[in-house]
Amino acid sequence: MQPLLRVENLVKHYAAGRPAPKDKSAALDGVSLSIPARTTLALVGESGSGKSTLALCIACLEHPTSGSIWFEGIDVVALDENQKRLLRPRIQLVFQDPASSLNPRWTALEIVSEPFFVQGRFSKQERSDKACTWLDHVGISPKMVSRRVDELSGGQKQRLAIARALALEPRLIVLDEALSALDCSVQAQISNLLLELQSSLGLTYLFITHDFAMAAHLADEIAVMDHGRIVESGPAEKILRSPGQDATRALLAATPGVPKTQSTLVNF
Amino acid sequence: MTPPRKLTSWLIALVALHGIVAGAGFLAPYDPVEQDRDHPYLPPMRVHLMDAQHHFHSRPFFYPLRLREGSFDQYQEDTAAAVSLRFFMRGADYPLLGFVPCRWHLFGTDGARIYLLGSDAYGRDQLSRILFGGQVSLLAGLLGAGVTLFLGALIGMTAGYYGGWRDDLLMRAAELFLALPWLYLLFALRAFLPLTVSPLEAFLLVVVVIGMVGWARPARLVRGVALSVKERDFVRAARGFGASDSYLLRRHILPETASVLLTQAAILVPQFVLAEMTLSFLGLGVPEPMASWGNLLASLQQYSVLVSYWWMYVPALAIVPFFLGYLGLASALQQRSGAYKIDEKSSWSPT
Amino acid sequence: MRYFLRRTLHAVFLLFGVSLLTFLFSALTPGNYFDEMRLNPQISRETVAALRAQYQLDRPLPVRYAHWLMAVAHGELGFSFAYNSPVGPLLWVRARNTLFLTITAMLLAWLLALPLGVWSASRFGRAPDRVLSWATATLLVIPDLVLALGLLILAVRTGWFPTGGLASVGFENLSPLHKLRDLASHLALPVAALVLATLPMLVRHVRASVAEVLEASFLRAAVGHGIPHPKLLYGYALRAAANPLISLFGFSVGTLLSGSLLVEVVMSWPGLGPLLLEAILARDLYVVIGGVLLSMIFLVSGNLFADVLLYWADPRIRIAASAK
Repeated sequence: MQPLLRVENLVKHYAAGRPAPKDKSAALDGVSLSIPARTTLALVGESGSGKSTLALCIACLEHPTSGSIWFEGIDVVALDENQKRLLRPRIQLVFQDPASSLNPRWTALEIVSEPFFVQGRFSKQERSDKACTWLDHVGISPKMVSRRVDELSGGQKQRLAIARALALEPRLIVLDEALSALDCSVQAQISNLLLELQSSLGLTYLFITHDFAMAAHLADEIAVMDHGRIVESGPAEKILRSPGQDATRALLAATPGVPKTQSTLVNF
Repeated sequence: MTPPRKLTSWLIALVALHGIVAGAGFLAPYDPVEQDRDHPYLPPMRVHLMDAQHHFHSRPFFYPLRLREGSFDQYQEDTAAAVSLRFFMRGADYPLLGFVPCRWHLFGTDGARIYLLGSDAYGRDQLSRILFGGQVSLLAGLLGAGVTLFLGALIGMTAGYYGGWRDDLLMRAAELFLALPWLYLLFALRAFLPLTVSPLEAFLLVVVVIGMVGWARPARLVRGVALSVKERDFVRAARGFGASDSYLLRRHILPETASVLLTQAAILVPQFVLAEMTLSFLGLGVPEPMASWGNLLASLQQYSVLVSYWWMYVPALAIVPFFLGYLGLASALQQRSGAYKIDEKSSWSPT
Repeated sequence: MRYFLRRTLHAVFLLFGVSLLTFLFSALTPGNYFDEMRLNPQISRETVAALRAQYQLDRPLPVRYAHWLMAVAHGELGFSFAYNSPVGPLLWVRARNTLFLTITAMLLAWLLALPLGVWSASRFGRAPDRVLSWATATLLVIPDLVLALGLLILAVRTGWFPTGGLASVGFENLSPLHKLRDLASHLALPVAALVLATLPMLVRHVRASVAEVLEASFLRAAVGHGIPHPKLLYGYALRAAANPLISLFGFSVGTLLSGSLLVEVVMSWPGLGPLLLEAILARDLYVVIGGVLLSMIFLVSGNLFADVLLYWADPRIRIAASAK
């Protein structure tokens, strides 16, 4: 049974002199991972370790310098723009900061209808209906549907972002620090929502975070990233109980709420 | 006053001013090209309610002017021949809003003509010419600003969104245009094009020329907006659904440029009206017999007019309330968008 | 230093671009100087053709441009058809007149703007400041053309000032003192127009920059030290507020040749402006190009000058630049 996503030796360098995208300027130095369908892989690492760059490459929003990405058995790096456009609905991205990932002037309905509008296949009524269905799925009540984004709370905004990501019925959703900007209680709600959606819709998640506790809650497998490479990976339980690498231990030690065992103490 | 109210009051003032000019046909007593060779360079006439015998009349009237005995340029009122004003009367044809023929005027006279602001060398009523001339000058300014902002937005978005060689090339060109003295460019552009054309062609030429001169600054500002917006995650997300470049430009980037473009419009329109006035004043703009604020001032280049006919200067004052209105609007807009700084680049003087 | 080298190169490139643009422009547009002549039946076709050949107007554009470039390298700016003389000396005389006018106006404007702006900033928000703000706002709202024409009418009706030209008839015969007075009376109007046009913006800038600085705590410390008020304002506050003003000064220098075109034409001041206008109308190609180029040199040098001044005046910029 082939994995849904397989990344092989992905390298991404930003050419000197050309400005790299803000906040996502870390390079990738040979990343390999694989995610079986219907599971969650958590990618943990510090800022600057290249997590977001990896997310963008997987979502086909950045071009890797070398290496390959296999999605459902297709090498997406080798595709041209038109072919990529056909593939895009299947891999979606949820960003960290809903304030910048949602156009603040648009209403909730417009946000979730946008994917349908861009795809160009649906009538106005169809778009509206489908959008409302998804909004309902993520727990945004019909009353809020015509509110503008800047009138919604942080949690509601992130639900909106998730609804938008779900609209085109993707198979893989990449969540780039999607819960990091939320309050603790809201985080719990949204992560439960994510788990529900995963089981009801059969989704696969690549969950990127710097927070081990969150990873522990959501993931089947964990991969630890440092300076553009994966330094350790394996089933979530194993990593948490007996981390092998220093980088992993450092991250664990810095995360509140994760039970610290003898082997997680870092030697300073 | 809180900013939103300030903005509204300036807007209302501007709309009223433009309304006056738009209603030139109704407000002006005469046709602007109608000549009266018997009465050149008449000074402004006064409207009276009390006649020479100190009787009060309910209907305003005026005395036509007659040459004083023994003089050839001194006038006095002919108190024997009072002519009343009539209100809401039918007069010369004019196109309401440009295409509906209409004959109603706010006021006018039967018989002798009243020159509230004096007459020019051909006996044409200055008041009417100023009102109609305003239509030409303001339209030139508004259209010119439209052309510039359109060009600027197009170029700015291309440079900012696509980046790369397009950006370099366009920004070098913008630097070149910014470096050139504004007025020189205007003159050179206009004068190197055919000098003798029909009034309509001349007007369009003026608009296009004015429009092509000022695109560099708006382009730079729009480019800045495009650069910052294209990095925003919601643009990335839209690309993630397979959105094309033109979709992103249209639905995400363009709306963000609106506030910049509006502020620029408020700054550019009066500058461009002034540009038209300057061109027409020097004979490079709208030609006779069409009236524009600029060519109404052209006669002031003659010494004799300067000395004896001071009322020929009045058209110059017509633009001042508009400048005031637009300046107020621009500063209110800048305050609202939070970008309030006195930037020498947004100053009034053209150079 | 390398920064300035780069900027100078940049400026030269800009000048090339402008000269090319102007050349291209004149070639692409219909009509040239000799069109008028051609319409005149008294001048034979052959004469016109010969004249055109003499001025090389029948050669292809790149050739003409190359010739012109070579001439410029030798210090010649071409030949004026209308005046039948080399462009260089023609421009020089007129440019000199323009500079005379604009330098006087600029000095006067700055000499007035600095104290007015500082004084206004020191009484920020209070009555004198509000009055001055209103005055500048009013002046700003009146465009240059309106201002210049208004002054002209004033002059004509009062007879206090001459209404055109640089000097009266019989200037040469006047005593030095009278010469000065005559010059001053001719200068008065155009200078007034220019000063009134530029003063409001300058005052606003000075006021804004100084007002910002007056908030700073180092000034309150200085007050605590008992430094007298005027010295405080000019010695400390103005120095700190100087940066944007220095840039502005540099820009002002840049517009010395081009900023007074309208005033010169309206007031009949024999400067570069009227010459250029005539040349444009007559399609006197080399005069136009020469004039535009000269103004551009000033503009570009003005920017460079502003940078140099800033570099020299503000140690922070020196450090930042050498750190690069």
